[in-house]
Amino acid sequence: MEPFVFVGGKGGVGKTTVSCAYGVKCANAGVDTLVVSTDPAHSVSDVFDQQFGDVPESVAGVDNLDALEIDPEEEVTAHLDDIRRRLSDQVSAAMVNEINQQLEMAHQTPGAYESALFDRFVDVMRNSDPYDRVVFDTAPTGSTLRLLALPEFMEGWVNRLMHKREQSIDLFEKAAIGNAEPRRVMDGDPVLERLQERKEFFEYAGGALRNDAAFFLVLNPDTLSLNETERAIADLEGEDLGVRGLVANKLAPSPDEDENGRGARYLRDRVETERERVERVRETFDPPLVAEIEFRTREVQGDLLEDVAGELDVEVRAEPPTFV
Amino acid sequence: MTLADRIESYRATLEEWLRGLYHGMITHPAYEKIEKEAEDAEDAFLLACFPDAFGIPSPVSYYTAELLPYIEDEFEAWERRLWDRDSYMERKGQQYHF
Repeated sequence: MEPFVFVGGKGGVGKTTVSCAYGVKCANAGVDTLVVSTDPAHSVSDVFDQQFGDVPESVAGVDNLDALEIDPEEEVTAHLDDIRRRLSDQVSAAMVNEINQQLEMAHQTPGAYESALFDRFVDVMRNSDPYDRVVFDTAPTGSTLRLLALPEFMEGWVNRLMHKREQSIDLFEKAAIGNAEPRRVMDGDPVLERLQERKEFFEYAGGALRNDAAFFLVLNPDTLSLNETERAIADLEGEDLGVRGLVANKLAPSPDEDENGRGARYLRDRVETERERVERVRETFDPPLVAEIEFRTREVQGDLLEDVAGELDVEVRAEPPTFV
Repeated sequence: MTLADRIESYRATLEEWLRGLYHGMITHPAYEKIEKEAEDAEDAFLLACFPDAFGIPSPVSYYTAELLPYIEDEFEAWERRLWDRDSYMERKGQQYHF
C-alpha cells in the first residue's frame, strides 16, 4: 500500500486511536513507522502516555515506531520569524515598519494555521526517508479537506502570479530608454525565484497526495457521523483523492444471551440500531469497511492499543514513494 | 569659417534639435506609456499577492508574505500610486498624448 496514510473523520470519532493503532500494527510487522499528529489537541501524547514534540522521537515500548506532534502555532511563528530575519537583511529601516504590518496581518489570517500545518505535512513527506510508512492523524474533517485542496488551488494561483510578474518586468525592460538601467530585470529576479520554489513545492505536494497517499475515514455508528462521512467521501473524490477504507469505531458490545436486566435491554437495542447503520455503511458507501471496533471500557492505551491494532484489516506493507 | 563649415554646424544643430523634438514628442511619451503599463501590471501583481490589504481574506497571503523582503521598492511605489491615483480612467487617460 501507499507509504503515506491519512486518517480523518469528524471530531471525537477516534482518529488518534485508529492512527496510533495502525502505527503500532505496522511497527509490529517490522515496518519503520512514524505517526504524525496534526491535531492541536495533541492526543498522540495521551495515547502513548509520553510527551512528543517537534522532532520525531521513538515511542517507548514499541520497536520501529516514532511519533511527532506538529504545533501549528509554533509553525506560524517560525515562518514569521524567518521572513523577519530576511526582511531586516534586505529592506531599509524606513520600509521595515510598513512591511512588518503587512507581514503580521498575513500571519493572522484564518488560513495561516492551515498553511503552516500543510507546509510541515509536506516537509515530513518530502523527508520521510528513514521511514517506510508515515501515518497522519489529521484534524477534523472540514479543515483537513480544505488543507488537501490547497495544492491545486495554490498551484494555479502561483502560476498566475508568475505570469503577472513576468509581464511587468518585461514591460519595465522595454521601457528603459537607450542605456538606462531598467527598473526591474528578469534575470535572477528574486521574486520569480521564490515563486518558482513555491510552485515546485505545491506540485510535489499535489503529486504525493494523489499518488502516494491512502485516505481512511473513521466514523461512529450515529447518523451525524455517517452523514459527514458521506460528504467527506464525495469531497475527497472531488479532489481526486480516493478513500481507501472506512473504520467504524465505538460500537456498542452486545450483552450475553441470558442477561435481561435494564442495562442488557438497553445494550441490545443499541446494538440493533448500530447494526442497521453499519449495514448502511457497508451497502451504500463506496469504500470498504476495514474494521469494526467495539467501545472499550477504558482509554485505549498500552495493550488495548495492540488489541485494536489486531482488529484493523489494513495492509501494513509499505511501497516506497513513487512521486519524488 | 568656410561656407561648408557653417553648413555643417547648422546641420548639426538642426539634427540635435530634431532628435530632441523626436525624443520629447514621440520616443519619451511612448516609453513613459510602456512604463505606466508596467506599473499597472505590477499593481495587479501586488493586488493578487495581498488581497487582504483590501479586506479580502485569502490563503495566498501567508505564502506571498515570503516575497515581502524582496519587493521593498514595488511595495512602496504601489502604496504611493494607490494614494495618488484618483480613478482608473484618469490614470489610463494620462497615458494618452494627443
